Amino acid sequence: MTRGTTKIWWAQIQAVIRLEMKKTFFAKRGLWIYLVAALPVFLFMAYAVATSGRQHQSASVARRGEKMLTYQDLMAVKPGMTREEVVAILGKPPVAFHWGENRPLGPGVTANVLREDYHYSDGQNDLFVGLADGKVESINIQNGDNQGQDSIMFAGVFQFFFLRLAIFFGCLGIFMNLFRGEILDRSLHFYFLAPIRREVLMVGKFLAGLLATCAIFVTSELLQTVAFLWHFSPSAREVYLYHNHGLEHAAIYVGVTILACVGYGAFFLVAGMLFRNPILPAAAILIWEAINPFLPGILKQFSVIYYLKSLCPVEIPSPPGTPPILALLISNTDPVSAPVAVVGIVVVALIALYASSLQVRRMEINYTTE
Amino acid sequence: MSIPVNAPASARIVFEDVSKFYGEILGVNRVNLSIPPGITSLVGPNGSGKTTLMNLMTGLVRPSRGRVEVLGYQTNDPEHLFAILGYSTQFDAFPKGLTGFQFIYSYLRLSGRDAQTAEQMAWRVIERVNLVDAAKRNIAGYSKGMRQRIRLAQALAHDPKVLVLDEPLNGLDPLARSEMIALFRAAAAQGCYVIISSHILHEVDVISDQVILLSNGYVVAEGQIATVRGEIQEHPTQILVRCTRPRELAAKMLEDAHTIEVTIHKDEKGVLLKTRDADGFYLALNQLATNGIDVESIAPADDDVLSVYEYLIGNEEGVR
Repeated sequence: MTRGTTKIWWAQIQAVIRLEMKKTFFAKRGLWIYLVAALPVFLFMAYAVATSGRQHQSASVARRGEKMLTYQDLMAVKPGMTREEVVAILGKPPVAFHWGENRPLGPGVTANVLREDYHYSDGQNDLFVGLADGKVESINIQNGDNQGQDSIMFAGVFQFFFLRLAIFFGCLGIFMNLFRGEILDRSLHFYFLAPIRREVLMVGKFLAGLLATCAIFVTSELLQTVAFLWHFSPSAREVYLYHNHGLEHAAIYVGVTILACVGYGAFFLVAGMLFRNPILPAAAILIWEAINPFLPGILKQFSVIYYLKSLCPVEIPSPPGTPPILALLISNTDPVSAPVAVVGIVVVALIALYASSLQVRRMEINYTTE
Repeated sequence: MSIPVNAPASARIVFEDVSKFYGEILGVNRVNLSIPPGITSLVGPNGSGKTTLMNLMTGLVRPSRGRVEVLGYQTNDPEHLFAILGYSTQFDAFPKGLTGFQFIYSYLRLSGRDAQTAEQMAWRVIERVNLVDAAKRNIAGYSKGMRQRIRLAQALAHDPKVLVLDEPLNGLDPLARSEMIALFRAAAAQGCYVIISSHILHEVDVISDQVILLSNGYVVAEGQIATVRGEIQEHPTQILVRCTRPRELAAKMLEDAHTIEVTIHKDEKGVLLKTRDADGFYLALNQLATNGIDVESIAPADDDVLSVYEYLIGNEEGVR
């Protein structure tokens, strides 16, 4: 292979990318991919709007209170305290409701109980105190800026929706159509009539698909991060980004998104050449990825999610009481190191691309059988 | 137009015992061909294997058996094959959203040419097929004839040594047809290999140097039209003889063992003969002429593709 040949191949790859990008970005049948990519952005926007609304309400309650409260003040209230003790600590409640309630005491005997709900706030966190006949019966504290919980929520959405569904199906839609779509349109011969190696064409198409999916899903990932940070106060945002690894996590999520596009893209490229109906391979790959935690170690390695999970920066804890089989799906019991994960996913993608290159050489133009 | 420096010495398009099956359906069977430069026509009814033969020649399908080589290049090497070959297919589909110019330009960029060269070459070929006015319009809005011409432009764009054209005259108006025929002839005159498939036998007859007759996936005859004729010993030759005493000539000719049929021309000024031995007939005719029958003219009455074609494959679909 001479330098001149490499130069021509690169020029050809660029020509393929130019043609494919236009088709991929503006194809009507690909509109759903934008929607799938935008769903988590909408989710975090809705969360940010809801959280901002709650923060405004908290601030308003705090302003109306008799005292400037701290989080410690809110935590000082304990069940069994009297109304007077609560008011002594927190002051007169800025928001209070009271009503009468008939409580059954025994068979056919009821007693009228005075119920009261107090709402206090330190401006960020809210305390809801429930009293019955002047004694604290229930306490509910809602934390405002709980970055730890928020980042676990973000990780959950990323791992269980964005990676396993959005990117998975987005790659399916784009990569499977790179060859299959043109066979259905009966226009693949345009490429096959050009003086271009089939493998070079395959690489060009793969890179075009990769650029398109990366552009769509990395943009989505960045917008999710922006939406996720929206409701944080500037100071909390700074703390999260620069002191709590927020920026590092965001960069890792972008990297994982790109690797997911590489891995799933390579899988679906070869699947699109081997199968006429995309539903069967998509279902097979989806099931394979889903049952990955239950597979023997050697088989786990032939999966994309196995490596991606190991790269995700935030471990998602199983909620208490989760059935063991579900907990196995949530937790990453057998993580690999980041370099191994990156190399692993690249190797899996290269194996799939090699299979594609063999298949593309064998492809014939025979539209009538499609 | 030039063959690459490292091109193999072979200067023919060669099919060696080539068969192609689509599952259980026969495409072509046991094809052996060696196609020289010039215009070669593939003639046969629908389903006879013309397009399959072209697709085999261009690597769009692979042979189930045998070997195809184009000027020494393997057909599974598109990088080199399509540097010397242009194929105008019958597939009437184009990449979506492209104008005529973009279609040709993209094709040239795919072959690795830089933007400026590709643009110049694209405009040149668009001009050759008379599509300059429509070049900036989306192909989706083209008429059938315009789509045919833009496909031809794609095949011609990189000045190939081998032109493979599947029904290239379909959908063209008479003026465009004659322009395209002139274009094919010019290419052949420059040493190009022009392979054309067509159902319109009279057009093929006029422009072809060679003809390959196909029927049900088999090559039933190949070569120059006259040679094809010569290869078919059983096929009687029809000869029209204009003479002064047609009835006398007819009687004499019927004495010849090779004469099958003699008909007096309706104007009573000639004889239409069918003979299995044309050479013997011409010798005998010389003798008759010396015996007082004035022969004004002698002309083969059926030395065209149509008659050979009809004889070989019958008056099937596609014969016009």
